[in-house]
Amino acid sequence: MRDHAPAILFLLPFVTAISLPMVGLKRREWCRPMALVAVSAMGPVALANLMVVLNHGEIRYAFSGWAAPIGIEWVADGLASVVMVVVSFLALLALIHAGPTSPQTLGQRIVPYYTLILLLISALTGIVFAGDLFNVFVFLEVAALSGYALVGVAGGKALVSAFRYLILGTLGASLYLLGVGYFYAATGTLNMADLALRVPALVTSKAIVGGLIFMFLGLAIKMALMPLHGWLPDAYTHAPEAVSPLLASLVTKVALIAWVRIMFGVVGPDTEIEHVPVLILLEELGAIAAVVGALLALTQHELKRMFAYGGISHIGLILVGVGLGNPTGFAGGLFYLINDAVMQAALFFLAGAVVYQYGARTIDELGCLRGQAPWMTGALIVMAMSMVGFPPTGGFFGKWYIILGAIEAHHYFAVAAVILSTILTLAYFVKLFERIFRDRPVSSVMSPVEAPLSLKVSVGAVSATIILLGVWSDPIVGFLLKTAVPTGW
Amino acid sequence: MIHAHDSLIVLMLGRILIPLVQLYGLYVLFFGQYGPGGGFVGGVIFGTSMILSVLIFGHGASYSTMARTVRHGDGVGLLIFAGVGGLCLIGGGEFLNYAALEIPGLDVASRRYLGIVLAQIGVAVDVGVTAISIVFSLSFDHEDGDSHA
Repeated sequence: MRDHAPAILFLLPFVTAISLPMVGLKRREWCRPMALVAVSAMGPVALANLMVVLNHGEIRYAFSGWAAPIGIEWVADGLASVVMVVVSFLALLALIHAGPTSPQTLGQRIVPYYTLILLLISALTGIVFAGDLFNVFVFLEVAALSGYALVGVAGGKALVSAFRYLILGTLGASLYLLGVGYFYAATGTLNMADLALRVPALVTSKAIVGGLIFMFLGLAIKMALMPLHGWLPDAYTHAPEAVSPLLASLVTKVALIAWVRIMFGVVGPDTEIEHVPVLILLEELGAIAAVVGALLALTQHELKRMFAYGGISHIGLILVGVGLGNPTGFAGGLFYLINDAVMQAALFFLAGAVVYQYGARTIDELGCLRGQAPWMTGALIVMAMSMVGFPPTGGFFGKWYIILGAIEAHHYFAVAAVILSTILTLAYFVKLFERIFRDRPVSSVMSPVEAPLSLKVSVGAVSATIILLGVWSDPIVGFLLKTAVPTGW
Repeated sequence: MIHAHDSLIVLMLGRILIPLVQLYGLYVLFFGQYGPGGGFVGGVIFGTSMILSVLIFGHGASYSTMARTVRHGDGVGLLIFAGVGGLCLIGGGEFLNYAALEIPGLDVASRRYLGIVLAQIGVAVDVGVTAISIVFSLSFDHEDGDSHA
């Protein structure tokens, strides 16, 4: 049974998702407990999977027993297993958080609501493990379709954002599929390991170059890389408070993981197109996104929108890290990806809790936290420290390794971009804290509600994780250096 | 709401055609073992027969009972499919590796045979249910849809 963890990880949320509509027909109140049980079972399985991968090397899971280029294969390597632990942990917290913060108007639709959340989680598992390009597309679409519906579930303004997300997301998926088609036409295979043997010889072919560009554009829309981020801020701002943490922390990051796998596992890091090294291009795009995203975050007035732009800026930072072309930067970028998933979840949990307790959506209304919520403000300070990059939080070590990698590669432009985005991040958090701590009259929006335990647990657990990631940064980065870095470096 | 068609010819032809279409759907499903066809096509044809009954006899008619009932079974087909896969996991093989299908007293060849048939039935049920639920969700107005959901 040892090697079956990837399939079990996928089946746990998936089977629960498809049995919910039938259970919900008679027992609507069972949906949430069933979803919680399924997702909390994922955590131990993901950990067991990580242990197996640590001790016995990567698992190549051939579905139906048909070996790779013919059959469909899932690959649980070091990177995928670590990311899977993060995904199952954050998904559980997001579900716990979703209890009180879900829209109150759902009624009957609570059944499809939990079904969609579970489908989203199982699709993310699929993207993380998928060993062939077409499978990545299928699961990207499953995740995106659940995402569109979840963004629009509350109705009102969210419907417009969901529709915009749908149009752009579908465009992204189509571009990605077009790219996969080009690759298939040029090589006759879709399996990543098999492609890795054939693509390097064909890298000058127009089909491969075109396919690579299309796949990058498609995934760049999915990961909301700077000029293609149009759908993200609206979708995350108007999505229900219960849904935005799940989307913000996992969906864009998992699309980035898919791109890392294609870039480093299929085409190879040293690829040049017409004398333009692809990695350098990625790094420059990332640097621009890191700075401009942070700059846009500074100009926002809504809490969730500000955090959404912060996430866009961090996607840029991760790309800078993985684009540096040396192991330090690569491992730093991936470590930052894990941190960013946790930080985004934390920020949106907090934003959700503030909306639930005080009804505060804009930064000006944040003054209501003053003197009222010391624990919540404390959690926000921990998150801000990590977002800006103060030790001993995880964010500091992520940026530290990225900067070390940039200096090692003599890319001083990247160093400057990381530092500039750090300063801008500091600026928008100063703007936040100025509203909370400076003594100014507060227009109370609504009388505060006592936070239920589930909100306290979710906000507390992610804040603790941010610190723990900092404390354990050394073993995690060491593990990533050992298992995730592409061979040949 | 869709009401019964008022032409006698259409009603009569519907009564004759629908069982034939269903039979043909089953034929395609099981013939898929050896030739063109299989779960997806069979499921579509079977779903079409139910759509036809709704279009001809209306939502409320006794002819449409099957269509009204099965659309609550979203996911039954997937459960069959995942269940076959799960039995293979329990038997020690990979997901959907029919050779390891955990049914006692069968040799490997008949396990593979049975596994394929069961998985195809799962696919057919799911596709059929999906087809009919698309029709129902398009033709109901909202309050009605919610009270039936």
